[in-house]
Amino acid sequence: MIERLRQIFGAIWPVFYRQDNDRLNPYFTFTDYRQIWTVVISVLIANALVPLLAITIIHYQLIQKSVDSELIFRTERLVSNARRAMTFFLEERLDALRFSVNEIGYDQLTNPNHLTVILRNLKLGFGGLTDLSVIDPTGIQVAYAGPFKLEGKNYSNQIWFIECQKRNIYVSEIFRGYRDLPHIIIAVKSIRPDGTAFFLRATLETERLIQTLSSHETGAHADIFLVNRSGIIQTPSKHHGNIFEKMMLPLPSFSPRTQAVMATDEQGQSIITGYAFITTQIADTPFILMVIKQKAGMMGVWLELHSNINWFVGFSIMVVILVVTITCTLMVNKLYQADRDKAETMAVMEQNNQLASIGELAAGVAHEINNPLALINETAGYVKDLFAINEQYHKDKELIEYIDYILEAVERCGTITKQLLGFARKFDVNIQMVNLKEMILDVLNFHNKEAEYRNITVQVDVPQDNLEIKTDRGKLQQILLNLVNNAFQAVDKGCCLNIHASYNGTDKVGITISDNGCGMPQDNLSKIFEPFFTTKERGKGTGLGLAITYGLVKKLNGDISVESKENEGTTFTITLPTRIHEEVTEDEGSIGR
Amino acid sequence: MKQYDLLIVDDEQRFADMLAKRLSLRGCHCDVCYNGQQALDLVRCKKFFLILLDLRLPDIYGIEVLKQIKKISVMTPVVILTAHGTEEDRRTCMQQGAYAFWHKPLVIDELMAILAQIGEMPV
Repeated sequence: MIERLRQIFGAIWPVFYRQDNDRLNPYFTFTDYRQIWTVVISVLIANALVPLLAITIIHYQLIQKSVDSELIFRTERLVSNARRAMTFFLEERLDALRFSVNEIGYDQLTNPNHLTVILRNLKLGFGGLTDLSVIDPTGIQVAYAGPFKLEGKNYSNQIWFIECQKRNIYVSEIFRGYRDLPHIIIAVKSIRPDGTAFFLRATLETERLIQTLSSHETGAHADIFLVNRSGIIQTPSKHHGNIFEKMMLPLPSFSPRTQAVMATDEQGQSIITGYAFITTQIADTPFILMVIKQKAGMMGVWLELHSNINWFVGFSIMVVILVVTITCTLMVNKLYQADRDKAETMAVMEQNNQLASIGELAAGVAHEINNPLALINETAGYVKDLFAINEQYHKDKELIEYIDYILEAVERCGTITKQLLGFARKFDVNIQMVNLKEMILDVLNFHNKEAEYRNITVQVDVPQDNLEIKTDRGKLQQILLNLVNNAFQAVDKGCCLNIHASYNGTDKVGITISDNGCGMPQDNLSKIFEPFFTTKERGKGTGLGLAITYGLVKKLNGDISVESKENEGTTFTITLPTRIHEEVTEDEGSIGR
Repeated sequence: MKQYDLLIVDDEQRFADMLAKRLSLRGCHCDVCYNGQQALDLVRCKKFFLILLDLRLPDIYGIEVLKQIKKISVMTPVVILTAHGTEEDRRTCMQQGAYAFWHKPLVIDELMAILAQIGEMPV
């Protein structure tokens, strides 16, 4: 499971974020893979998403525009229909009143019985009338037909009476009046044959008016009501205030035509406001018809479509990002791996070149020293020969001993020059079966005294006593000596050195030499196999030890690696073939001496 | 002790002379020359028991001298004695019929052992 997660994570999180390449950086063709990866992904994602987002936004705006215009059109139609109904309602009753006043005349109208009959007939014909009354020019009610006792009332100071004297026909706002019930007054002025004026006044029930308006309401999101020119609500509103209170929305400016506009209500929600100023053909009215629609409620279908589009776009964006990221990561990873392989090869080549240069230098030095050394050797040998012949000197053991010192020194120098040459070339090759445990113990014999003196614990862990490999004994010995020397130099008193050897697969053995000494900083790890790299004090280390060891391991077809943590210790791991390569074996085995 | 005629060819004159003296003490007769041409001239007019040949000579490279010696006297053993011979030199010399390929400094007892070994060989 964890492995699978790691694979999935690896597909989108590139390998170069997880690898430290300080050692190889100089050999890379492209230096900043993180930047390349980021730029490639950004460009491709932008390339794919910008058109998608642009089309989505344009589509969104177009749909919204068309939905808005459709909503306005529908609202206008609704307002227009309701306005016609209202106008017809009022005109019908005004016309009936005008017909009555002109046709029947003052004398018959002031007859209470006749007036009652007229009221009954009007109720039957049109409905919605509560009472009828006749008022003389002084404002005194002279006749009344209806449920209230209003005869003799004086209306001379009432606004409707004053206005009706001026305009001949009058339609009032909805108000409570003497009877304390909402009603509308419509009044018509007429002239008697003697030239005096009189007025026929009717009271309209508001119930019929409200029913007429309600019949145009479409759904819960629409609100139809009347306001007067001052914005006082005249018929009940669902959302925008109570009757006879000031409407919470702003009063629309006058327009002779039906209007619908987008707006926001007092709670900040989008609404469509439709309105019309109601006027009849024979008289103006104080009413403004208001139609308020909640936009959110009207746009349910569109919002669902919008939501679907959003899901689709979101899903598309995720797919695009995922596909682009995986593809780019794969491609850039491949590029990076190829570049890294090349860099590895170049780094190894450079290291080999450096080793070869050191080898050439060592060989040159060895050559120049070998000739004078050979002369010293022969001269000293000759002197020794002479001493051996000459009886006088033959007995002088001290002299012979001095000469032997010289010859021994020459022999030591000869060994050193041969080792120097061995760095570059393949001298003293001795391919044979080597018992690893015995060899490790032999090498450690050199350090027994030092280990005792410094109280260093040395543990050898070789599970198989007969762990044998066919290799160059001398080189392996030198490798182990170098690494053990190195470890002894790195540990303090009382530390521990551990050497482990075991099979690593069927055809390889692994040898680890670990200590719990001072360790090395990570920066140095990549350089320790480079020639002349040393952390020791000036003059105390040549920086050749580990470079030579590296060269020797490579000659034995092996690998060497190092792990270290500062103040925790260092572990060198060598992997060697159990049988050295045949070509090397033949090559080395035929050397004459 | 058997008398061996040896030829020492080396441009390091003191070394060659000193080696000749040491070998003389061991009953050998040594001719010494310091370049390749002299060596070839000597080989043409005299038969040696063994020739010690350096590789870096001032006039002719040692391997060429070895080839010429083998043309003149194929049976004469030639031991290459050099301060620094490459692996390729060693291989070439052995292919061209050198008896051994040694590095300086010389261990004279080993040389004497070789002389004894050659002396015991059936001719």
